[in-house]
Amino acid sequence: MRCFLEKMRSKFSTDGGNQLYGILLILPALLVLALLYIYPLFSSIVKSFVSDQGIGLHNYQKAFDLYWVDVLYTIGITVITLLIVFMIAVIVAGYLRFKRWPFLNFIYRLPLFIPFLIAGHSMRVFLAPHGILNTLLAQITGISELPGLAFTWIGLVLSFVWKQFPLATLLILGGFQSVEDSYIEAALNLGSNKLRAIWEIILPICRPTVLVAMVLTFVSTIGCLTIPLLIGPSKPVMLPIDMSFRINYFGDWGVANALGVISYLIVVGLSFYYLRYMLKKEET
Amino acid sequence: MQNITTLKWWRGMVLRTIGIVLIGLIICGPLAGTLLWSFAEKWYWPNVFPQEIGVKYWQNALSGQSQVMESLGISITIAVIVVLAATLISVPAGYALARYNLPWKRILLVLFLMPQAFPQLPVFINMTSIFYRYNLVGTVKGVIAVHLVISLVYSIWIATSTFKSIPVSLEEAAINLGANRLRVFFRITLPLAAPGIIASSIFVFITSLDEFTGTFFIGAPFIQTLPILMYTASMGYNMQYASVIAVLLTIPALVFMFILERFLKVEYISGLGV
Repeated sequence: MRCFLEKMRSKFSTDGGNQLYGILLILPALLVLALLYIYPLFSSIVKSFVSDQGIGLHNYQKAFDLYWVDVLYTIGITVITLLIVFMIAVIVAGYLRFKRWPFLNFIYRLPLFIPFLIAGHSMRVFLAPHGILNTLLAQITGISELPGLAFTWIGLVLSFVWKQFPLATLLILGGFQSVEDSYIEAALNLGSNKLRAIWEIILPICRPTVLVAMVLTFVSTIGCLTIPLLIGPSKPVMLPIDMSFRINYFGDWGVANALGVISYLIVVGLSFYYLRYMLKKEET
Repeated sequence: MQNITTLKWWRGMVLRTIGIVLIGLIICGPLAGTLLWSFAEKWYWPNVFPQEIGVKYWQNALSGQSQVMESLGISITIAVIVVLAATLISVPAGYALARYNLPWKRILLVLFLMPQAFPQLPVFINMTSIFYRYNLVGTVKGVIAVHLVISLVYSIWIATSTFKSIPVSLEEAAINLGANRLRVFFRITLPLAAPGIIASSIFVFITSLDEFTGTFFIGAPFIQTLPILMYTASMGYNMQYASVIAVLLTIPALVFMFILERFLKVEYISGLGV
């Protein structure tokens, strides 16, 4: 082995020999990733084209016939969540960029440390028809039978926003804080108020960070199984529920994988749309 | 004049108090509800607080032969093995990514980021169908494998940036004094990297402890980790039981993360609470 290594080493330059050690060190990680991530990922794409009628788009046909409402619903819920998360994150980060408020700076991070499953369960308890929120509201307003938000699309969006806005805020605040004071002061001296300074100066400078925050929010919302399971309405449902339903009740891997590939495409499509929009804006 | 300043001060105080109450209610309300439920022995609508408070459900859950303790044991065993495996794999990989001129380094880094940038559920589903062939579905081994691939992304990131933060000059000095590379790594680099590696281990431990979706496909119903047990209880409207487990699962995450927060950079935190 040693002899082999020496030979390989002399074949490369000194740097090349270094490279070989580097590759050997990274090999276990690569193998695990290839076997347990890349292989299933490709398998999901390949199997989505294979059905008992042979190779083709049958699975996609069936997926759209059965679940086109759910595809639109998933996109809708994810986009609404994304917009609300973006607004809250920019407001909180903007506030903390200009003013010190240790209470807010501490408390907004709390949901970050709560797993999705527990966030879902807590929201189920909080938003149920006879849940804690309605009990409190009933005491304050005197209206005793308020409709519960759990198991409605609003409850679903609220739960997603509650869980997702801290990460976006954390990332965006990091970006905001790296913007130099001089830019902002210049804008404020020219008569702009702080809101406009955030919107017209700080946000455009932080565009890459904001994009990363939004993509992370988008991917983890569209792929989340637990929150829709625990708090979503029973119809229509998000795509991850359809996928697990397809497998657990029908053993239908083809359609489940077609739905999986559709969710990849939504992610790629939205990022693409965003990028193109940004490029166009750059040109004008 | 003084009147106006006091008025302004009062208005500021009132606004701030309303802000604290509202924000506190929105952020803490759901969590406080879960905590209350775990101690509620009797809680009927429309009472704002439970009629009877006690530790009955906690006692039941924490007594020797309960399902909760059994699941806790399984969860911790899996988490410890995942931590060991992830550390063994990610320390060399992180060192290589930080120190060596690897070919296609950019592609490698993108590859290690990919599990974060795509929906994971289809991957879990296909992992299940692959694992069926090797009889790994419903086994602890299978669950460890799925936890490992989820954790690996974060542990490799943390290891890479930890090694990058250690100056190369320290290693070069030791090599100039006649030590070989291996000795330098174990005597100089690894001790300096220890805080980062410990942070990454705790991070991986909590990721594994709280993991649900992968376990749901690969392990359930045979491997009942704590999150799976909590999900079953919550779906069955067994609120006290589910809330006790929810609190049990949240405490280590909260404690460790607050301790670790200053070690962790924002990029890793994106992986919290899978």
